[in-house]
Amino acid sequence: MSAEPIGGLTSAEDFEAAEAADRRLLERTWKYASGLWGWFTEVDHSRIGKRYIVTALIFFALGGIEALMMRVQLARPANGFLGPDLYNQVFTTHGSTMMFLFAVPIMLGLGVYLVPLMVGTRNLAFPRLNAFSYYVYLIGGLFLYTAFFLNTGPDAGWFAYVPLSGPQFSPGKRVDVWAQMITFTEISALAVAVNLITTIFKQRAPGMSLNRIPLFVWAMLVTSFMVVFAMPAVMLSSLMLALDRLIDTHFFNPAQGGDAILWQHLFWFFGHPEVYIIFIPATGIVSAILAPFTRREVFGYMALVLSLVATGFIGFGLWVHHMFATGLPQLGASFFTAASIMIAIPAGTQIFCWIATLWGGHLRFKTPLLYVLGFIFTFVIGGLTGVMLAAVPLNLQVHDTFFVVAHLHYVLIGGAVFPLLGGLFYWFPKLTGRMLSETWGKVSFWLVFLGFNVTFFPQHILGLEGMPRRVYTYLPETGWGDLNMLSTAGAFILGLGVLVYLLNGIVSLAKGEPAGDDPWGADTLEWSVSSPPPPYNFQALPMVSGRSPRWLWHDQHPVVVGLRSDRREFLITNLLDAEPDHRQVSPGPTVWPFILSLGVGVTFILGIFTPWGLPIGAVPCAVALIAWFWPRGDQGHPLLKEKS
Amino acid sequence: MKRRPTTPVIDVSNLPTTAFGQRDPLWWGVAGVMCIEGTMFALMLASYFYLRGGAHVWPPPGVIHPGLGITTGNLALLLLSILPMHLAAQAAERQDLAKIRLWLVVSTVLFVAFLALRISIMHRLTFRWDSHAYGSLIWTTVGLHTVHVVTGIVENLLFIAVLTRGPVEDKLMDDLRLNSMYWYFVVACWALFYGVFYLDPGLLGTLR
Amino acid sequence: MSWIGFHSVLHAHGIEAVRIGRLWWLMLSVCSAVFLLVLLATGIAVTRRPQESGLPGPLPPQGRLRRNRVVAGAIGLTAVTLFVLLIASVSTGRAVASLGASNATVIKVIGHQWWWEVKYQNPRPDRIVTTANEIHIPAGRPVLIELASADIIHSFWVPSLHGKRDLIPGHDSALWIEADRPGVYRGFCAEFCGHQHAHMGLLVIADPPERYAAWYAAQLRPPPPAAPLQQRGRQIVESAPCARCHTIQGSQATGSLGPDLTHLASRRTIAAATLPNIHENLSGWILDPQTLKPGCQMPANSLSAADLQAVTAYLESLR
Ligand code: HEA
Ligand code: HEA
Ligand code: HEC
Ligand code: CUA
Ligand SMILES: [Cu+2]
Repeated sequence: MSAEPIGGLTSAEDFEAAEAADRRLLERTWKYASGLWGWFTEVDHSRIGKRYIVTALIFFALGGIEALMMRVQLARPANGFLGPDLYNQVFTTHGSTMMFLFAVPIMLGLGVYLVPLMVGTRNLAFPRLNAFSYYVYLIGGLFLYTAFFLNTGPDAGWFAYVPLSGPQFSPGKRVDVWAQMITFTEISALAVAVNLITTIFKQRAPGMSLNRIPLFVWAMLVTSFMVVFAMPAVMLSSLMLALDRLIDTHFFNPAQGGDAILWQHLFWFFGHPEVYIIFIPATGIVSAILAPFTRREVFGYMALVLSLVATGFIGFGLWVHHMFATGLPQLGASFFTAASIMIAIPAGTQIFCWIATLWGGHLRFKTPLLYVLGFIFTFVIGGLTGVMLAAVPLNLQVHDTFFVVAHLHYVLIGGAVFPLLGGLFYWFPKLTGRMLSETWGKVSFWLVFLGFNVTFFPQHILGLEGMPRRVYTYLPETGWGDLNMLSTAGAFILGLGVLVYLLNGIVSLAKGEPAGDDPWGADTLEWSVSSPPPPYNFQALPMVSGRSPRWLWHDQHPVVVGLRSDRREFLITNLLDAEPDHRQVSPGPTVWPFILSLGVGVTFILGIFTPWGLPIGAVPCAVALIAWFWPRGDQGHPLLKEKS
Repeated sequence: MKRRPTTPVIDVSNLPTTAFGQRDPLWWGVAGVMCIEGTMFALMLASYFYLRGGAHVWPPPGVIHPGLGITTGNLALLLLSILPMHLAAQAAERQDLAKIRLWLVVSTVLFVAFLALRISIMHRLTFRWDSHAYGSLIWTTVGLHTVHVVTGIVENLLFIAVLTRGPVEDKLMDDLRLNSMYWYFVVACWALFYGVFYLDPGLLGTLR
Repeated sequence: MSWIGFHSVLHAHGIEAVRIGRLWWLMLSVCSAVFLLVLLATGIAVTRRPQESGLPGPLPPQGRLRRNRVVAGAIGLTAVTLFVLLIASVSTGRAVASLGASNATVIKVIGHQWWWEVKYQNPRPDRIVTTANEIHIPAGRPVLIELASADIIHSFWVPSLHGKRDLIPGHDSALWIEADRPGVYRGFCAEFCGHQHAHMGLLVIADPPERYAAWYAAQLRPPPPAAPLQQRGRQIVESAPCARCHTIQGSQATGSLGPDLTHLASRRTIAAATLPNIHENLSGWILDPQTLKPGCQMPANSLSAADLQAVTAYLESLR
């Protein structure tokens, strides 16, 4: 592709006038209704992405409050703060909230926000589907919490093992609530994944060939593929569970030829990839933060991309390491040990490449970088305890104890939440147009980092001393009281840190310093547009000529012209080299995705009570779908005539 | 003199506004849906083999083959429906609206015939979903697949309606091709389930 | 150790736990070394003053080559270390699985929500001993534990002796254990199983072989004849709902929903190793198990003070 300017050089003044006129036209074309109606008809990726992030943070706070309740209960032996019934609901809701309503949606939501900006396009490939995904997710979350506050919160653990979760041992609706919440969030995540894959494959700015895709976008791509192949497993298993409970099928009933272990296989075939679905976007955030704060391109691009892809593949071969205690044949178990240990190689490769980036970078110790350093410290500990857990004999000792609880929080919080907090700090100026307070950012980091380690380090020891997980209390004579008290104290420090972080966000929203387009001197495309970005993102699509496009631009940067501004046009490029291929029109605002999500909500919630839920709910769904897809000829597409 | 901040280097105003196949983003969307559902059906099969591997008798006592003729005929109907769907897709490429409508009607009739036959097969079964795990597997799989067939019928009817009432946008032609592509997938899934369910050696042993 | 017994992975008292303990220390030292190295490298990286140019962009080529080598070397070292750990894990797994003996004591353990039924297997039906929540074994000898579940998934775990094994309905399994020396070892139910998962404990009591033999013989004898108060207690137990759920040999109580109480007084604890078996606990339990173990499968009983005293006295006589 040549970098020769097209047409003669116009004077700067002419150019500015023409550009301002064009911008006004774009603004009119991409306008969204304001107010409540606007909220329900919005299809802009950046606003929906923001909604995802805010909603997920609210669920994080709820899950965190539940965590504090558990910690209070466990602080002393034989404590009476939460009884067994409530404790079981609380830990199940905590785990399910954190996994399904916080960690996965916030990562995908960040992808929804950032991917179009980073690849240089105007919206996601399927904007209406994107709106639908969000509403379905919201309905799932509201449903879980409505049930929870009505004392119908799920209470069989976040992996709801049968037969405990089956019709005989969990009568009532608690487990059904869990199963349907899962279905809602899966539908939402699957739709986002397809949307992101398509956008990344087909809508990259010209010049952004595969080997120039930003690492964060690579991470979202691998994650999306993992969602596509992992989530069907839990959709299927939760469907089977719901049917066992509702219409007496026998998938998991050993008395009638079913099998309780089938559930475990299906669940963990999803559940293990799930943890990488949370972790891989976080590695993308780490790479995104490292470049501007070391002022270096991240070291080992190819190695990092290959590690992501390798993790994605190997991640599907490990699920049995959650089931060692069910008693597997020696050989089979060794295979899964080997696979689980092997995944430390790509993980290590990533860590080494990041350290190499730091080494020789010109570091700026701002809050985002601190979170990345905290990530390296914590995640490596969590990864190493993962390797220990993968060794079958050792696993049989510490499986289902607080050692596992410690591992999972080290990797989830250290490995995913730390980068996330760093990342939100880093992108906050882009999202809101304002800077966060650096001082309070640092305060929050140290509180979170110290509080985290005080909370979860002692849990390793508790596990080794025999404390099983998911116990609502323990006997004084076990001697576990002191370490539990320490852990609880840590949780409050951690909670304070999170609170400071959130308050910093709320205060800066109103009072923060204006950020400008690019406060960090960063390398990726999202920083070349205003903060927050306009609904069309780029007035003229940028043209990319390297991995750090913005560092290659000097006072002028190359752009694409010729997209129409009087309709919502965007550019489709080809898969490998991102050469311009054709133009398409992006659909405008509509209320039908929202109506469809309501229909889906009715179907599944009614489905808990009667098998007729499906046919009844199918009616509004079909109506909404037809209305959604019915062409109105108002989007500017050329019309065809009947040939006679 | 101030310099302009951007340099136009590519002009895309001459590029077309539609494209078929992998060039079109929607193709990737439909392929994604096929991956998702394909994985789900594959796991359903894996569950079938898992439970079969753990069973002493398979299929459970009392289960009788609904008949090789009727089940195979049913499959044949489905396979046959590929033809009109394919012709409809070809007509879409030529933007021949009348032909598209014709082939859509023909295939829809085949779909409905398939469903009718399927219902009569399910009536012949000697077990229900709540009889045993085997029954749960068969009924649930058939149920899931039926949802897809019904969706196919509704989609075809929708396309016929749009083609009749208009306005017909140029991108509808690609939607039609993708509709056919998705249908091939639905057919392929059933061909696989047919092989696994109705040609299961244990079940064939119950043929009278 | 109080009545509660040893319950730490790090206090290994059985050959299998000792072997796993060694694997643990190996893993811990290797992983600590890895962690310290990573920390060191990160520490140097963030404190070092870079010689390279400060312009944003990729690393200059000279630096890149050396760094490539170091990173590749670290990846290679990782692979080697992991291979060593894999070998250690697999060989420990083999060693642990090799325990076994012919003629060993076979004990069937059946998990219930939320207690353990224990049956000493014997070809002669009259020599089968049934008890609950406490397993006596001869120290220094391998014992085969056969595992099954009566309802949902539980997991049998005695940290000082061996790793855990799930009890899965429809999948009976077995586990060899051996205690190196006499002592009391605490076990837990490790798989979440509902309301009282927290209080589904058990005790493994390893005795010198002679003591074990004596205990076994005592379990085979019917409980001693009862004094008048205890006789009254026995009548109450037989007529009250107790008999529906509990078996006491030599009485008309033959229920099987709850633990066998034939030799209850010889046990150290009640309610699945949750409470020491002392007078106050026992009578409190009989009256109102739901405050002591909320949600458990035994209902509260309305007994008059005198009746309660009689029942408790009777149960305390069941040695
Ligand atoms: C973000 C999420 C995340 C991540 C990234 C991981 C990463 C890993 N996990 Fe973890 N895991 C969970 C989340 C995660 N896990 C959760 C939620 C559970 C519990 C589920 C439940 O039961 O509720 C769990 C449980 C779990 C178990 C089952 C425990 C049990 O219930 O018995 C096992 C067993 O093998 C395991 C192993 C591993 C391994 C080997 C890795 C590896 O990927 C780690 C690799 C990383 C490193 C090793 C560090 C960096 C590498 C180097 C610095 C190189 C040098 C290293 C060496 C030479 C060793 N995990
Ligand atoms: C991403 C996932 C994630 C995250 C972030 C966390 C965060 C935390 N978790 Fe959680 N946890 C899980 C995933 C996660 N957890 C999972 C999967 C399980 C297993 C569940 C199961 O067994 O089924 C589990 C289980 C689990 C247990 C074990 C329960 C048991 O087995 O009995 C414990 C106990 O200590 C615990 C504690 C904590 C704590 C203290 C935090 C802290 O980090 C929380 C910090 C946050 C806060 C404290 C909130 C601060 C906010 C406020 C104070 C509110 C402010 C309000 C407004 C602004 C309106 N978690
Ligand atoms: C509906 C069934 C039921 C009835 C009726 C019942 N029990 Fe129980 N009992 C149980 C169960 C189940 C347990 C085990 C509880 C646990 O540990 O979770 C138990 C435990 C006990 C224990 C402790 C045993 C041990 O070793 O841990 C004693 C003692 C006992 N019951 C006595 C009685 C007496 C006396 C009565 C009548 C007054 C009675 N039970 C009535 C079901 C019952
Ligand atoms: Cu039984 Cu936990
Ligand atoms: Cu895993």
